[in-house]
Amino acid sequence: MNNHLRTLRADRGWSQADLAAALGVSRQTVNALETGRYDPSLPLAFKIARVFEQPIEAIFSDTGA
Amino acid sequence: MSRSEISTQPLVVKILGGLALAAVGALTGAALANAIEGRNMPWADSLALAMAVALITIGVLSAITMALRPSTVPKGCGVLQIVVFLLAGAMFLAPMYASAFVTADTVFAGIVVLLAVQTVANVMLWRRADEMLRQVMAETSAIAFWALQTALFLYAAAERLGLVDTISGWGLTGILMAVYLVSSIAAAARRGIH
Repeated sequence: MNNHLRTLRADRGWSQADLAAALGVSRQTVNALETGRYDPSLPLAFKIARVFEQPIEAIFSDTGA
Repeated sequence: MSRSEISTQPLVVKILGGLALAAVGALTGAALANAIEGRNMPWADSLALAMAVALITIGVLSAITMALRPSTVPKGCGVLQIVVFLLAGAMFLAPMYASAFVTADTVFAGIVVLLAVQTVANVMLWRRADEMLRQVMAETSAIAFWALQTALFLYAAAERLGLVDTISGWGLTGILMAVYLVSSIAAAARRGIH
């Protein structure tokens, strides 16, 4: 699964630690999400969508795998 | 949410940090090798001592990391992780060294207490962990279980056939912890945790 988390975060001038605090996860989890090493659960994906005020499909896209 | 300082470290800081960790590892390994060689220990005790040193070193390094970069661990997990590592290290040392100071019964009672405290800390750690840390813990358990049950079956079959010597429970416990540590490193590396 691909995502635009790094771009969205950078656009807002947030650090990984800022986003981690907003999501209630560790900075390492944010880093793993951004680098595609970890796909979030559905609840976390919804939380990310709420934080960025965008629909989930605008943040995540299916790679077709 | 307010803008904060850029969290990425300069490359030179990362390199220096890596070199510092490598130096700590080299010094710890050299000291451990000298201690094992000088005392002519049985291999099971040598392995247990190596595991204890590794666990305590990881605990101390985790404490340093938590102090320098608290956001790298889910809130409330850092201290618990350190407690789990340090208690595991202490429990590996106690059967070999504590009986020189107190009776074996007292040592065993102490180990039971430490194990109970560590179990509570492990449960609390699981409950406070974020979803990725929980997944890393679950994957570590799965990898370790698969590796250990495969190795145990092969060893048991070979032992039944009289092809290998019997390994003590103490030796098996050292092997179990070594496999678990390697499994945790593999599971964490998959998620980019170093």
